[in-house]
Amino acid sequence: MHENGTTITTSGPAGPAPAVGEPAPLPSLGAVGWIAWFSVREMARRRRLVSLGLINLLPVLAVLAVRLWLPDRGLTAHLQLMTLSHDTFIPFLIPIVAMAVGVSAIGEQIEDGTIVYTWTRPVRRPAIYLGRLLAAQGVAVGLLTLSLALCFVVMVTGNLGVITWEFLKLYLQTFGVIALGAVTYTALFAAMGTVFRKPVLPAILFAFGWEKLVAGIPARVQEFSLQFHLQNLVSKAPEGTPEDLPGMLRALVQQALHRDPTPDWRSVLVLAVVAVLAALIGVQLLRGREIEK
Amino acid sequence: MSAGAAANRDQARISATGVGKWFGEVIAVNNCTLRVGAGVVGLLGANGAGKSTLFKMLAGLIEPSCGEVRVLGARLRDRVGWYRRVGFCPESDALPEWMTGREYLSLMLRLMGFDGAETRRRTDRWLERFDLAAAAGRRLGGYSKGMRQKLKLAQALAHDPDVIFLDEPLNGMDPMSRKDAITLVGDLGRQGRTVLVSSHILPEIESMTDQIILIDRGRVLAEGSVAEIRDKIPEHPTTVALVSPDPRALAAFLIGREHVEGVRIDDQGRVVVHTGHAVAFYRALPGWVRDHGLVVTEILTLDDSLEAVFQYLTER
Repeated sequence: MHENGTTITTSGPAGPAPAVGEPAPLPSLGAVGWIAWFSVREMARRRRLVSLGLINLLPVLAVLAVRLWLPDRGLTAHLQLMTLSHDTFIPFLIPIVAMAVGVSAIGEQIEDGTIVYTWTRPVRRPAIYLGRLLAAQGVAVGLLTLSLALCFVVMVTGNLGVITWEFLKLYLQTFGVIALGAVTYTALFAAMGTVFRKPVLPAILFAFGWEKLVAGIPARVQEFSLQFHLQNLVSKAPEGTPEDLPGMLRALVQQALHRDPTPDWRSVLVLAVVAVLAALIGVQLLRGREIEK
Repeated sequence: MSAGAAANRDQARISATGVGKWFGEVIAVNNCTLRVGAGVVGLLGANGAGKSTLFKMLAGLIEPSCGEVRVLGARLRDRVGWYRRVGFCPESDALPEWMTGREYLSLMLRLMGFDGAETRRRTDRWLERFDLAAAAGRRLGGYSKGMRQKLKLAQALAHDPDVIFLDEPLNGMDPMSRKDAITLVGDLGRQGRTVLVSSHILPEIESMTDQIILIDRGRVLAEGSVAEIRDKIPEHPTTVALVSPDPRALAAFLIGREHVEGVRIDDQGRVVVHTGHAVAFYRALPGWVRDHGLVVTEILTLDDSLEAVFQYLTER
């Protein structure tokens, strides 16, 4: 009997000796590919994707409304695209979509216990994490850029005159910035989903608390928000000369702060570093995670 | 620890040394050391006894709070290549509901490193083996509990592992599937694989193996065959049937004797004795027979079952 420090030895008939030599893990690239393929299909079948799709139709509807009801208000396609990216995609749509697919990318599988099947395969945990993350980033980029593509279609249909080199350049630039934003935010939210058991609240606090607060503070403090760097990368709508009192006051304040513009390369670097760091932290967190069910 | 078992110690494919796991103030597994070689070994314990936690530690899914776990000589958590030779069937019912049975099993095999042709061959073979071929194209969300259980077993076995962990594998299976799975587990053991199978249902374990590890409240209580365990409990109670040409005289003599707690004659004419101290009773019986001119032609232990052993050990 075993009161403490139980020692058990149980052996049946001697079977064939196990093969010698350590079996190799699955090559990481192949494993990432399989997991990403499986995960994209899984995420694409989630019900929440329908809600996200509907939310992403809002800018398309806005562009459609402008074309139908406000054709003569001077809102050119160029201006619409700048406004959409600066005021709709970057501050709202990118964080919402990235949050919806990011926080659940890893966390949901740990929570429901299905990760046990990938954890008991010869696949390294970084490959599991990166496969899931790539899938989530792919879905987020796909949703957002599809919305942007639909906006483009609405803008140019029956109005081919708007397709100028400048407009195409702006469109491609916006496309890239939105993709970069989706990749960065998704990496950050995926890491949150790995560390927190209930990651939605911290993710909301970050996206709509911290980001809005910091992005609204002038001078260099703004650079502590992803939103600022994304907005810095897209062209802003021309503001014109302020004629009203609040406009003039705002212009005076900006002049007084005399903020140097942040170069584009710095914004790209910051976003890329945040994405890579978040992925590395997520990988490290997953290494330490344990199955809960 | 038995001598034979000790001799096989070096061949242990699963080993745990001083392993414990606690969650906050709750001790799930307490200072457990075990070595398991080839064959089928049952891990028996009530719900919440710590079986699944022990399984998860052995399979590298959770880190022990203390002690060390090795499977095929390696720490699975760090050396994931060894999972090619390990099969794990979890107790949890979680499966990716949106996938079909075929997709799921194929993916599991792909992640084991098989190429497309071999994956298809094994997927077909194991779906067939568990009578799931007809449902292979259906989504797992529509599978019954028994079908899900069979698919979980299939993913644990389809890559021909040497070491197999089966956590409550018969849950939810219909009687025919249950019988089939029990036969399969026995076959795996006879093939020389190491199968560690857990259950809280005693007849299930008894039907699969004679080798057991009893676990209760996070502590391993006993190991070995049912008979070996009984031998290790000197004062264990038991029920014995004595066959005699004169059962009435034998019964009358035994009433009130030391270590005898109850005597009756059953419908087969045997004298059924309940003793609170089996070893002492067996030691005294030959003397009584010799000194008092009694005749006993056969002695049968009636409750040498796992249930009796388990109840006794967990209630102590």
